[in-house]
Amino acid sequence: MKERKIRGGFGRRVSDNALKIYFLVPTFALLLFMIIFPLIWSLYLSFTRYNAVAQAPPQFVGLKNYARLLSDPEVWARFVITGKFVALAVLIEFALGFVLALLLNREFKGKGIITTLYLLPMMFSPVVIGKFFAFILDTNWGILNYILGILFGIPKIAWTTSYKWALYSLVIADVWIWTPFMLLLTLAGLSTVPRYLYEAAEVDRASGWFKFRYITLPHIFPLLILALLFRTMDAFRFFDIVYVLTGGGPGYSTQILPYYLYKLAFQYWYTGESCALAYIFLIIIIALSNIYVNYLNKLRAV
Amino acid sequence: MKKVAIVLVMGFFLLGVIGQIALAQKDVTLTVTWAAWYPADYLIKLADEFTKKNPNIKVKGAFIPWPQYHDRVFTEFASGKPSFDIVVPDSQWIGEAVEGGHLLELSDWMKKNINFDEWYEFPLRSYGEYPDYSDHWYGVPLLLDFVLCAYRKDLFNDPNEKAAFKKQYGYDLDIPKTWQELLDIARFFTRPDKNLYGFATWEAPIATAGLADVFLGPFWSMGGNLWDPRTKRVQGIINNWDGIEAAKLWVELYKTHPPGAANYSIDEVMTAFQQGLIAMAAMYAMFYPGLLDPNLSLYADQTGFFTEPGGIGRDGIFRHFVQLGGQGLAVSAYSPYKEEALKFIKWTTSDEFQWKWTEGGNYTAKKTIIEDPAYLERFPNAEIAQVVRESAPLLRDFWEIPQYNEMGEYLSIQLNQAILGKITPEQAMDNIAKRHEEILRRAGYYD
Repeated sequence: MKERKIRGGFGRRVSDNALKIYFLVPTFALLLFMIIFPLIWSLYLSFTRYNAVAQAPPQFVGLKNYARLLSDPEVWARFVITGKFVALAVLIEFALGFVLALLLNREFKGKGIITTLYLLPMMFSPVVIGKFFAFILDTNWGILNYILGILFGIPKIAWTTSYKWALYSLVIADVWIWTPFMLLLTLAGLSTVPRYLYEAAEVDRASGWFKFRYITLPHIFPLLILALLFRTMDAFRFFDIVYVLTGGGPGYSTQILPYYLYKLAFQYWYTGESCALAYIFLIIIIALSNIYVNYLNKLRAV
Repeated sequence: MKKVAIVLVMGFFLLGVIGQIALAQKDVTLTVTWAAWYPADYLIKLADEFTKKNPNIKVKGAFIPWPQYHDRVFTEFASGKPSFDIVVPDSQWIGEAVEGGHLLELSDWMKKNINFDEWYEFPLRSYGEYPDYSDHWYGVPLLLDFVLCAYRKDLFNDPNEKAAFKKQYGYDLDIPKTWQELLDIARFFTRPDKNLYGFATWEAPIATAGLADVFLGPFWSMGGNLWDPRTKRVQGIINNWDGIEAAKLWVELYKTHPPGAANYSIDEVMTAFQQGLIAMAAMYAMFYPGLLDPNLSLYADQTGFFTEPGGIGRDGIFRHFVQLGGQGLAVSAYSPYKEEALKFIKWTTSDEFQWKWTEGGNYTAKKTIIEDPAYLERFPNAEIAQVVRESAPLLRDFWEIPQYNEMGEYLSIQLNQAILGKITPEQAMDNIAKRHEEILRRAGYYD
């Protein structure tokens, strides 16, 4: 009787299995059209000569797009720039986030507010942050050069327009935004370490380093690897701030791959070639992610 | 009787409704897309007068910020259903838009509706014809624009500065007639200890509003050429002696810029001039009002303007070219209101519109207007109007083929590297020649 009340009308005519399918179909349809189809279509386009704004249909060229991209020294230079940026940004964020999390992992007055303030940069739009940094790092009007000049008598530094500093200015902006993410995950990891382990170590009169090395680190390590994985994947997609802050310059010294991909796809309209580069990029990210995931699995097995 | 009356009333009511629907169907709203800036707003303001004459055609604007303008328009074209009927493309986009089949061909319409003799030939062709000299037309000029130079009158007119300059360079400090003279003046005013620099212009390594726009003025005036227009060959042409000399001059000129100027574009050059950081600047003419606004510029009352200088090449001949900017009006091939759009475009070519356009501080490409004795009075700034007059016959533009963006950007990136000392001017020009031929080969120009 109760069953009938719940499944009256349409429900009475549909079996449980059919209902599952009805619920799943929209999700699968969306997945198919929004992700699977574009993936397959772009894979096909990566083997063609095609311009999305021209009238000519895609023309199959085999592996030519991949060969051209991988044989161009200027494209390789962009791989190197991207690698440098990702390595620097992620490592600094990791180190800073870790240290800040250790400092915040204790009870003190105003801890809640300070933690919230630390998280603020992640909540801003990257374009707004890019503009902030453009003002802060401006050679002639920027506050940073002003302070450095007043306090230390350092001459004006061309942060965003010199070969020496431009990539670092992007790293500074990225570190400012994403260090809180590392902090948050590390803090979450630290809160999972059982208190009694520290108490036992205290009883044994273990040193601070011993407690960190043999209690804290093993417990939070899997979460740190996960944080590194997320940040590495995300750092490879860094685009907005390059667009606003350096525009890829000076020369092409800050044209990291996502920015170059945008140029190829939407400014030069090499649609086929840009799809090929996107796939090369995807393969690199998957390979790097696999290294992390394998390491994570090994840790779990231990 | 009562029933008849009710039926009649209802009949009239229905007729009225049907009549309104029929009228409403004839009403057309044309959407014009352009960059979001003053001339676009002014165009829509003037369009009210067009609507007064053609009550069934309304005109509205859908404007896009400059940095996103190109990408947005072409992404909409790629969709096959752009949201606009009329587009105001940058002069260099025309090949890209025509090859994609996105613009309505206006060749027959132009021949019937435009008196070619009334317009300056170069901008007319640049905004409307593709390929060059093919007699296939796709647009008419709307906003003429070109590179001009601004200078600080207080510095140039200072007797002490004049005397010091004469002593150092052996000739009078005045408006430079050549880029070589401009370099002398820029060096003279470069005084880092006083936070004053000689010159600044767009040095950003981008194709539009970047280095390519401003470098090509001195490049052409010093005898440089981008390619052989017939064979499209670049090697040995862009990187010949004249081209390399122009690149060397550009590298020297960068030394007179404020520190960190290698990414300067519109805003940065304007700010540097407004704050008194530089003595001279080069930029597109349409941005001049920002330099004369006392709310924005500390030197608004001391700002003067002059025509881009000429140059002397290896042969010792004085040449004078000015880089073209600006945009024309074109009709989207996908618009359902092509006839109405053409009616509007025809109206914009009338003297009535062109004078009002001029009085609003916008530049026209119509020769009969610019050469009219009243032009200097009717344009809001007589000094600028004089520069327009001098520049209009000297205009030149870069590639209009679909590959312009990649070619312009590569040129800008290489010269940006050269000004920062990463490569030599010779290497920059050689790299440009090599890559430009690669781009053209891939596009099939040598097949």
